Amino acid sequence: MHRETITVIKVRGVLMVTMPADPDDATISALQEKTLEAMEEYEARGLILDLSRVDTLDSYFARTVTETGKMVNLMGGQTIIAGMRPAVAITATQLGLNLAFIRTALGVDQALDLMSEEHPV
Amino acid sequence: MNLLDEGSVAIVEETDIVTVRQTVREAAGQIGLGVTDVTRVVTAASELARNVFKYGNGGSMTWKLLESEFAKGIELTFQDKGPGIPDIEQALQDGFSTGGGLGMGLPGAKKLMDEMSVDSSPQIGTRVVVRKWRSI
Amino acid sequence: MNKASSKSKGVVIEPQETRSSEASGDLLRLLVENIKEYAITILDPEGMVTSWSPSAEKIKGYKADEIVGKHFSAFHTPEDVASGKPERELAAAAKDGRYEDETWRVRKDGTRFWANVILTALRDKKGNLLGYGKVTRDLTERKRAEEQIRQQSREILEMATVPVVQVWEGIVLVPLIGVLDSERSQQLMEKLLERITATSSPVALVDITGVPTIDTKTAQHLVETIKAVRFVGADVVLTGVRPAIAQTLVHLGIDLSNVTTRSSLAAGLRVAFGMLHLCVSAESAD
Repeated sequence: MHRETITVIKVRGVLMVTMPADPDDATISALQEKTLEAMEEYEARGLILDLSRVDTLDSYFARTVTETGKMVNLMGGQTIIAGMRPAVAITATQLGLNLAFIRTALGVDQALDLMSEEHPV
Repeated sequence: MNLLDEGSVAIVEETDIVTVRQTVREAAGQIGLGVTDVTRVVTAASELARNVFKYGNGGSMTWKLLESEFAKGIELTFQDKGPGIPDIEQALQDGFSTGGGLGMGLPGAKKLMDEMSVDSSPQIGTRVVVRKWRSI
Repeated sequence: MNKASSKSKGVVIEPQETRSSEASGDLLRLLVENIKEYAITILDPEGMVTSWSPSAEKIKGYKADEIVGKHFSAFHTPEDVASGKPERELAAAAKDGRYEDETWRVRKDGTRFWANVILTALRDKKGNLLGYGKVTRDLTERKRAEEQIRQQSREILEMATVPVVQVWEGIVLVPLIGVLDSERSQQLMEKLLERITATSSPVALVDITGVPTIDTKTAQHLVETIKAVRFVGADVVLTGVRPAIAQTLVHLGIDLSNVTTRSSLAAGLRVAFGMLHLCVSAESAD
């Protein structure tokens, strides 16, 4: 089984991570470690997590996302989830997942706008 | 009831959870479920497969595509090799957790599927059967 | 016995001498041999096949010498056989004279077909059961066509029940009319979220002016929809909250405190414009 890798890039002081379509648990936990390391290294304003490719968000994945969001907040940044697909959003609602305290945006563009409004450089 | 197709996946390693999701996604698509229902079934399968891997010492997932006069459906059976669940009623309640997770495994899967039944004992481990129907 | 025969229904076989001429008997045989759409089978009182028409061979795949003398449960699915359905069918036909069913049946090669089956009890004048006549029709094609039509009408109905329109760049509107049951609210959620993402609209107006009453279930559906909209990165303004609806929502204890609500669609539209405008002004204010 090949393992997909997580790439964290920095754009205008913001970290951007695009999640693969169907990540295994190891890839999901790598998300948290890599993001927090990058937050420290770049002193980023926040994290934009692009979920537009993700087609299954189960409770393990969702928990890692909310935890990471809280940790990024503690390190002084903001987390925005971008591009969640309709089917994933409906399923997440029905499953009772809670992404409280995390902002959402329709796409990466809108997320970058939000980030500039609320956390200007 | 007509059996259209069937197959199974062993759940031994953590990456088998991904294989379960991919297998179920392909199978659920075959009976014409819409994208939202496919996502529901795959998400439920992911929850249950992780239960089997993390708390059930591994096991397997068997899928069946069914057809009756009025509906087509997918049936998934998860069988683990674990110690069994002492209180099934409690395990099906919101917020119940065995392994420090969100406790969404069983109740979450139940909400996403049309039918669910759970059998458990120390001898046979835990067996969860879930079904999703599409009326035709 | 006489009493019993008058009560027992089914086809009564006339004694040979009262039957019409040999020629019409031949015609009947020709008819049975040439009918293609119906499989015609004669069973003995125990359900063993005694006679087999050419059309039956074509529909079910058995040649006469392969099936004559075998039990008619060979045409049933294993599930039906296990539940004792073949015996129940014979009993029903014997009791009522006739038994009709639409169901899955099995061909010789194991494939299944959707069949209309009519079993008729055949009795002599005294009411003694001689056997059964069985007429089977393959309706698989019709069933497929029906399924297709049902699917299409459902899709048309969906379009009509949940119309989602884009009213402004960045704003979509759903005017809900009638009762919002669980199936409709599922459609609402799917259509609304699809339109929001397809048009990149950050604001969705959900207008409930045309919803006559709200119960706990309906309110929960609305709350779920609003939550799902937020997951994809947009926000809902709930409009058309009339006095009676507002009273009901409070009495039911539905918490909509973090949802923007307005009594009229016009007021909601102003809020929506404001939300889009606020994005711009907040940027310049910062």
